[in-house]
Amino acid sequence: MKQILTVDDSGSVRQMVSFTLRKAGHEVSEAVDGKDGLTKAGGAKFDLIVTDLNMPNMDGIQMIAAIRKLPGYSFTPILMLTTESQAEKKDAGRKAGATGWIVKPFYSDQLIAVIQKLIK
Amino acid sequence: MGTLDRARSDLQALALTAETEIGRVAGAFEDLAGHTGAMLDLAAELVGCVESDSMGAVLNEVQSLGAAARLFIQERLQATAGILETVTGEVALLRHLAHLTQGQKSVARESNSLSVLTSIEVARLGSVGSGFQYLAHELAEFSRSVTEDARVLATEADDRRQQVEEARRALGREIPRMHAEFARIEAGLGAALAVADSSFAELSRIPVQFRQCVQEIAGQIAGVVAAIQAQDITRQQIEHVQEGLTLISASFEDSAPEAAAAHACAGLNIQIYQLRAIKQTVAGWASQIQTCMGGIMRISSSELVAIGPVVLGQERELSSQLARIERLEQECLSYNESVQHALGGLSSLMELVREHLDRSKAVRDRLQLLMFNSIVEASHLGGDADAILAISQSIKRVAEEWSGITDQSAQAMQQMMEMVESTGRVMHAFSDASNDGLRTAQEQTRAGLEDLRGNVETAGRQALKMNDATARLQSRIAQAGDVGQLFDGCLSRVDAVLGSLEGLHRESGADLPRTRGRIDAAEVERIFSSSYTTEMEREVLRAALRGGPLPSLQQQLGGNDVELF
Repeated sequence: MKQILTVDDSGSVRQMVSFTLRKAGHEVSEAVDGKDGLTKAGGAKFDLIVTDLNMPNMDGIQMIAAIRKLPGYSFTPILMLTTESQAEKKDAGRKAGATGWIVKPFYSDQLIAVIQKLIK
Repeated sequence: MGTLDRARSDLQALALTAETEIGRVAGAFEDLAGHTGAMLDLAAELVGCVESDSMGAVLNEVQSLGAAARLFIQERLQATAGILETVTGEVALLRHLAHLTQGQKSVARESNSLSVLTSIEVARLGSVGSGFQYLAHELAEFSRSVTEDARVLATEADDRRQQVEEARRALGREIPRMHAEFARIEAGLGAALAVADSSFAELSRIPVQFRQCVQEIAGQIAGVVAAIQAQDITRQQIEHVQEGLTLISASFEDSAPEAAAAHACAGLNIQIYQLRAIKQTVAGWASQIQTCMGGIMRISSSELVAIGPVVLGQERELSSQLARIERLEQECLSYNESVQHALGGLSSLMELVREHLDRSKAVRDRLQLLMFNSIVEASHLGGDADAILAISQSIKRVAEEWSGITDQSAQAMQQMMEMVESTGRVMHAFSDASNDGLRTAQEQTRAGLEDLRGNVETAGRQALKMNDATARLQSRIAQAGDVGQLFDGCLSRVDAVLGSLEGLHRESGADLPRTRGRIDAAEVERIFSSSYTTEMEREVLRAALRGGPLPSLQQQLGGNDVELF
């Protein structure tokens, strides 16, 4: 069982990510935006983070860049889960330190497969 | 401007409501999915009972029992037929013995006459004939002992004949009854095995059906998960339309009137396209959620709930067959005693005949000796002993006759020995040892049925739990409310905004021929595309500028493009 943080301003998306990952046997924490995500990442050590891009207060790319500076998060897998699919956005995400990019809506089995691959 | 502000405000309210409502649906779904998962776990345990070894093993055990019961009955039928043959042979032998005893009695009478004649002759001869006194005594003794032997043998043979006749009648009655019972058991077992075989085959398909059901449910759950996320995409699209409407309002303030009208008209058209796409998307994910929820509901009518009663029925049928075989075995055990009693008498008769034969041989030897002695003595006396000589000749004839009877007794004895030997062989079928195979098969079947019963009871308990879980699931679905009504509400609000924007577009379209030449498509795309974050929105924008059809729903709900850096 791994500790996973899901960050999204949409409650229903957070619910679905949590539901899917808990069913796969993981423990999931939720954050409502980038700022909340950064705070929670600083307060505990997560094995993987799944984050949205466009969020109020702090967007996903800013949050990833900040989290990478936290101790113990240099190699933690961070997945972007967003409706965005533009190459320049993906490039920005990669530069900020994202490990991968998934375009919404996600399908449970594929999300689990990607996560299993990253936390193996 | 007023229409645009109203539309923007309506869309904002719609987005907020939709977010709240879809959150409620997502919560209800999570709860339903949890219950569905619990039901699947119960169903898996139930299927585990069906898949367990005891199900397959008991069928093999019952089949072995059927084979052992058939063999048991067939052996007894053959043995009973063999005993009937033996008994019939014994009856013939007893008749022959009766005939022999008649011959013995006749010899005894004749010997007695000879004894009397000898005594008379001894008296006539006086002191010369005193040597023949012994002969008269021996003949009298011989006659007495043969008479007694013949009487004993005749009495024994008569008793034995009555006993054997009784056994023959009993066997005559028993064979058809056993044939009938055999046919009944054969038919009963055959039918029970055929039903069990087909039921077990049906049960063996259930795990496959269950796996399909699980896959289907998993697919439906994944579908709901994807559809609920689509709401988040819709919410963003609505926000982007709101931003588009703000830009249109601003263009009226910043641009020259003619250019503003051209951009407003083109922008309105784009927002109308976006709203149509949103409407299509909402209808798509609403339908997907409803379909998937319906799929989850269908598990409640699964055949899995019916497994317990089916298996219990099989177990009862097989147990009744086992009880029937046990009853037959008990009947056979009591029958064994009477058969053993009936056949046991043959041995004692044989002993009697053997003793009789030994005595007959001794008598035959004694008679021959008497005959020689009397002839020798009579020769010494010459003409005075003619009568004694004639008596000696008669003794010789009696000795020969007796020798014939003794030979026949020996043959009868031989036949009896053969009969006893063959009886010993058939008697094995009626011994306790002959039941060993059947008894082992019965014990195995009984143990197999007990295992089966244990599994069936577990399956029954699981089925009850599944019924409870189904009731809880249905209750939760009822509490979740009518998802369809919620989505219809969303769609009607999108329709209202769409209607007002289409009206505004028609009004501005009246001036379109005049403004068309002033529309810069590239500029319009630049202005409005900046707020679109999804590829689908950009596709819709391009369709609006081209005046082409909307992208397909599948394209709109497409996602899950995974890229690892």
